[in-house]
Amino acid sequence: MSDYLGRKKATREALLEATDPTAGDILESGETEQRKESARSLGADAWDVMRRRPLFWVAALLALFFIIVAAAPQLFTSVDPRSCDLAYSRLKPSLKAIFGYDMQGCNIFARTVYGARASILVGMGTALFAALLGGVLGTIAGYLGGWVDAVLSRLADIFFAIPLLLGAIVVMAVLPITLDTPYLVVIFRIVLVLGIFGWPNIFRLMRASVIQVKPAEFVQAARALGANPLRLISSHIVPNALTPLIVVSTIDLGTYIATEATLSFLGVGLPRTIVSWGADISAASALGLIRNAPHMLLFPAAALCLTVLAFIMLGEVVRDALDPKLR
Amino acid sequence: MRTHTRVITAGIAAALMLLGTTACSSNPGGSPTTGGLTSITVRGCTPQHPLLPVSTNEVCGGNVLDATEAKLVHYNSDDASPELDVASSIDTTDAIHWTVKLQQGYMFQDGTEVKAHNFVDAWNWGAYAPNGQVNASFFEPIEGFDDLQCPADQADCTPAVTEMSGLKVIDDYTFTITTTDPTSNLKVRLGYTAFAPQPDAFFADTSDGKADFAKTPIAAGPYQITEHTDTQMVLQKNANYSGKFTGAVDQVTFKIYNDLSAAYNDVVANNLDITDVIPSDQLVGDAWKNDLVNSDGTPRWGTKATGVIQVVSFANAKQDPGLTDVRIREAISMAVDRAQIASTIFNNARTPATGWVSPAVDGYKADQCTNCVFDPTKAKELYDAAGGYPGTLSLWVNGDGGHDPWATAMCNQITNNLGLPCVVQDTPDFATLRDKIQKRELTGMFRTGWQMDYPSIENFLAPIYATGASSNDTDYSNPQFDSLLKQAAAATDDATANSLYQQAEALLNVDMPTMPTFYQASQFGFSTKVKSVKMTPFSTFDFGSVVLN
Repeated sequence: MSDYLGRKKATREALLEATDPTAGDILESGETEQRKESARSLGADAWDVMRRRPLFWVAALLALFFIIVAAAPQLFTSVDPRSCDLAYSRLKPSLKAIFGYDMQGCNIFARTVYGARASILVGMGTALFAALLGGVLGTIAGYLGGWVDAVLSRLADIFFAIPLLLGAIVVMAVLPITLDTPYLVVIFRIVLVLGIFGWPNIFRLMRASVIQVKPAEFVQAARALGANPLRLISSHIVPNALTPLIVVSTIDLGTYIATEATLSFLGVGLPRTIVSWGADISAASALGLIRNAPHMLLFPAAALCLTVLAFIMLGEVVRDALDPKLR
Repeated sequence: MRTHTRVITAGIAAALMLLGTTACSSNPGGSPTTGGLTSITVRGCTPQHPLLPVSTNEVCGGNVLDATEAKLVHYNSDDASPELDVASSIDTTDAIHWTVKLQQGYMFQDGTEVKAHNFVDAWNWGAYAPNGQVNASFFEPIEGFDDLQCPADQADCTPAVTEMSGLKVIDDYTFTITTTDPTSNLKVRLGYTAFAPQPDAFFADTSDGKADFAKTPIAAGPYQITEHTDTQMVLQKNANYSGKFTGAVDQVTFKIYNDLSAAYNDVVANNLDITDVIPSDQLVGDAWKNDLVNSDGTPRWGTKATGVIQVVSFANAKQDPGLTDVRIREAISMAVDRAQIASTIFNNARTPATGWVSPAVDGYKADQCTNCVFDPTKAKELYDAAGGYPGTLSLWVNGDGGHDPWATAMCNQITNNLGLPCVVQDTPDFATLRDKIQKRELTGMFRTGWQMDYPSIENFLAPIYATGASSNDTDYSNPQFDSLLKQAAAATDDATANSLYQQAEALLNVDMPTMPTFYQASQFGFSTKVKSVKMTPFSTFDFGSVVLN
């Protein structure tokens, strides 16, 4: 009896193993342990590839550094970014203020450090928002097909047709904020706007990916074995279709940060009460100012560049590791 | 009614850029001198309205009309004092009944003579409501003006009366003006563009709004518009000019620029001869003074104090109860270090205000605003004694006028010196700010500015602070102030009038409905072709003073 059961399990296992690289989870724990050496999950595989690449470490450390700066700016400076004295206006970098002072006599180092929070919150929030919305809708559309797919796809097309920047400017003008609006609400407003216009991209990607995975043998096998649609999606389809979403989201994260800076530069992004790189870059980028006080522009712009670069590099490394076709 | 158009001030800079809709002009060859004629090019912008004196209330059209129109009175290009031009005398005994005598033989550009009816008919046409002229309100002091207007609750109407009863032609060279109330500074007002005469050709034009005539208008000034396109306006010397204020060059071409920086760069590169605006970012660290210098070290730039004052107004007690106590308003005014903002933010392109009247006009008295002197210690004492301001103080500015830098600096100073949190609030554009001000929606403080219509101390007080005046944005009302203005308007000699106006101004220092911040000066630059040029207190150029190398 036991022998028979064991054989049956082994067969099922062999069938799944043959095609589904993430099938590890449906094996019983004892067996997983034994098989770890010969067949490892995609995640572990990718990790193995990534950790051998110096670019990954550079990008990850840089990203981590900026996340820490965003989470706890007090660790890096004791100067209040909003306390400005006109007497220090446009002073060049010195020991007292290593990045110098801006037009209003604010410490640029303090402003750059405190500006990280808004940028990174917006970037990560938007990436998460778009990934969730686009991912869920894309999976539904790809899995169900038919009229659901048609409706969702056309809906995505509508949002796709609106240029992100233009749409954002319109929505921001329609959703006004007051002085008393809490910090997170102000941030969420930007996340919402960027997310609303960013999700169709992810949606299309996820839909295509799910359609590609759906007819695979391991999905058919699981279906034949009686798995219900929910289990089918969560255990077999999504894990195998997720790779492009992770990759594109990571790359997009950097783009969202840059877009937030653009919106703040245009005056429709974050309000002036919030310290942000975009607003500082905007204030420092008139031609005459660049000639006379280039440091005002240089430091917030460099911080923005490095952050965007870190996340985009990270996205690329993850893509290289996860996408078997590239190997 | 006039506020929208007159409180332009620094919004002008942004408006200049927005107004232009046509393509940039490019003139790689500089400004050639053809056939022995001297010519210069000047930065211009697209006029908002047709080029008629009663239609033009903004700088783009005003700069051109300033050179083409002759009026009864001409403003001195140095100090804006009135000098007789077409008029040979303007007399009164009671500041109500005026007799104007014209010079004989003063010619329009088309060779017809300027006669009394050319003035009277032009003014009646401009004041008549159905003609919809934006400068109509300048004729308000004249008796019978109201009969030509629509009732307050009606937008469209056709008044039966088409002529103001206060204007009478005596003979070809004499007419009389009767004002409704005593208006001692009428002579000064008559120099404004709206009071220019119109030739018979103007009245013969039957096109809608005199649009055909306005394309290349005929006037009596030193220059004549000979070409008017979307990219440039060419002015040539008026062969029939009969006045004293002759132009020094034969041809002046206003080239339309949408971008101030492009015009500036063209002047630096000698592709354009004169620009009347320097982009504010080029003022930083005096970059423009280094750019605009001849090889022998002589400057190619200049500045001129203009009749513009920048003011920060306090919301009235009904709008913002936190500002009811005058000590709070005094404290805020004293906590602002105007000199520091002027030097660091404006690079001394503006100067700290010491009163409510621009130094460019007759009747100006320095140091009228004792609360404008920077004194952080006293400010803090007053502020604490008054119990402070609840919450965060807002300073409203229009986001399209480049006001953020000084407003932020002012807020920082208020916060640092009083411990009062202050934040700058933007509106998307100038019109939105004016709209919010007029609906009395704002709390805290808001930016207002005033560009003079005519160079008189009265113009800085009556329209802004008299009870119920058209631009009284703070609803300021002080019976003593009103009565001083009335007495001053009825005074027949200038010295008495000015001293009464100054007494009225001193009352503003007691009540502090607004705090003066900066006097404005205009910066201009010119190419190596030009040796020198004079700017008038109205930020226009005196083309009679141009000297070429």
